[in-house]
Amino acid sequence: MTTSGRVDLVGLGMTEMSITPGAAPQELAREAVDRALADAGITRADVDGLLVGSSQGIRPDRLGVAFAAQGGFGDLRLLEHVEIKGATTIAMVQRAALAIAHGQARTVVCLFADAPLVAGKGAGSTYAHSGGQSGTRGLERASGVLGSVPTYALLAQRWMHVSGARPEDLGAIVTTQRAWAVDNPAAVARKPLSEDDYLASPLISTPLRRLDCARPVNGAVAVIVSNDAAIGHPVRLAVRGTGRSHPVRHRRAGAESWFGGGRRAVDDALEYAGMSRSDLDVAELYDPFSVVTLMLLEEYGLTGTARAGDFVRAGETGRGGSLPTNTGGGQLSGFYLQGMTPLVEAMIQLRADGGGRQVPDASVALVGGIGGRLDHHAALILERAA
Amino acid sequence: MSADVTTALGVDWLLADSLAPITEGDVLQPLYDGAALGELVLPFCSYCALPLDLEQQVCDGCGGHDIAWSRVEPAGIVHAATVMHRREPGLVLASSPYPILDVELGSGHRLVMTTAEPEPSAPAIGDPVHVTFRDLGGVQIPSARPILDPSVTTRTALSQTEARS
Repeated sequence: MTTSGRVDLVGLGMTEMSITPGAAPQELAREAVDRALADAGITRADVDGLLVGSSQGIRPDRLGVAFAAQGGFGDLRLLEHVEIKGATTIAMVQRAALAIAHGQARTVVCLFADAPLVAGKGAGSTYAHSGGQSGTRGLERASGVLGSVPTYALLAQRWMHVSGARPEDLGAIVTTQRAWAVDNPAAVARKPLSEDDYLASPLISTPLRRLDCARPVNGAVAVIVSNDAAIGHPVRLAVRGTGRSHPVRHRRAGAESWFGGGRRAVDDALEYAGMSRSDLDVAELYDPFSVVTLMLLEEYGLTGTARAGDFVRAGETGRGGSLPTNTGGGQLSGFYLQGMTPLVEAMIQLRADGGGRQVPDASVALVGGIGGRLDHHAALILERAA
Repeated sequence: MSADVTTALGVDWLLADSLAPITEGDVLQPLYDGAALGELVLPFCSYCALPLDLEQQVCDGCGGHDIAWSRVEPAGIVHAATVMHRREPGLVLASSPYPILDVELGSGHRLVMTTAEPEPSAPAIGDPVHVTFRDLGGVQIPSARPILDPSVTTRTALSQTEARS
């Protein structure tokens, strides 16, 4: 074995992203791991670390550390269930990279599986019925806040009020991302979308329409992190920097309830990488709702002096733009597998495997993750190794 | 016939009783106990009087961990508002879209609530509201009543509206 001074992403495996109920999370996880190992050209015997992530609340059989045994792994030096909601994926890569850099593991599988779609219920219904009857969430549900859409709708209204963004900016995000998804075989919605198509989409919670919301899927992704130069996919992707920000907000007069405070994650990741925003070729952001992309582009300082709505409507996040963003269609048109969605697309772009949606010469990617109600931000800078 | 009578007597305009919060032993029990008496009761730091989040255990202002649940003026202004069009069968009884408001109270707290009665639209950000209660399965839930004439609202709520605009 040859140890590299770098920590790289050396393997990627994903299941089909299914919009119909099917396999349990453990079965999906097994399939994703098998594909990632094959992609990296290794077997389970080469793995000494396993990090697992799964979403809370929807299924009692969520993936956990028991998957080490369920999934056929041997003795490990690193095994954790990582949980900071939507920021989990980047936290896993960060944890793996740190462990490897400190000699505490060598080849780590980061795994996320989710199967929110169950027989007999739509995704919206499943989320509407989850959340319980206790605490603040119980009081909110007793006030009609069912599922996560109404909270993000309140956020959207507030963001538009504060930033001057307009409902048509949301439409621009949706149509731009759909244009990317057209050439993504893994995307769940690939039909080109006009502004009129967007406006015909039914309102869920003003201003959010059905097309402003992510498409939950059943699926799993495994990513392999290693400093072993003898293994891995021929195109190695270096972990250049990571950053986190956990703004602790209090919902009271004088403060915003849902935004502000995430930018430091991106600043820290770039500083660690020795890069600046102008070095970014693509941005893959966590976008459960269109308004989140609109907001994060601005909050992360990715639009220069422009307002995000103007930036998007000028085509800067689309093909040929200055910062192609969510180039697989994101979670809106691609698939909603939480933090894995942006990470997968960044890896595909940097490997130049993007086919019809490939961004020419993409070599540096920003991957973002958010969790909770914008309570957790994580950023990752990946670079295609020379 | 008897089913209709039951509906008229005990049923919320918006939601099924199955969504009624469990109040006994809940972290929000002081709020529900106050609401049962028709009062809006919210948490403050007992040392520095900072308004706290509903589940906050330690004051972020002074580090105090003694929480005082106190009666507040049931009035505020709309911090954000949406109209919820998706109506989950079995949970939502209303036959048309319903408002959800994030209300900033004169006390400084923010509370998410719907309206006390069906409303054709949601009030706008900055509009004053009065806080009253809905009965959901025997639990009193804070709910907003839009104030059509802003001069009726409290001086506190008005000054906050102006401070922010």
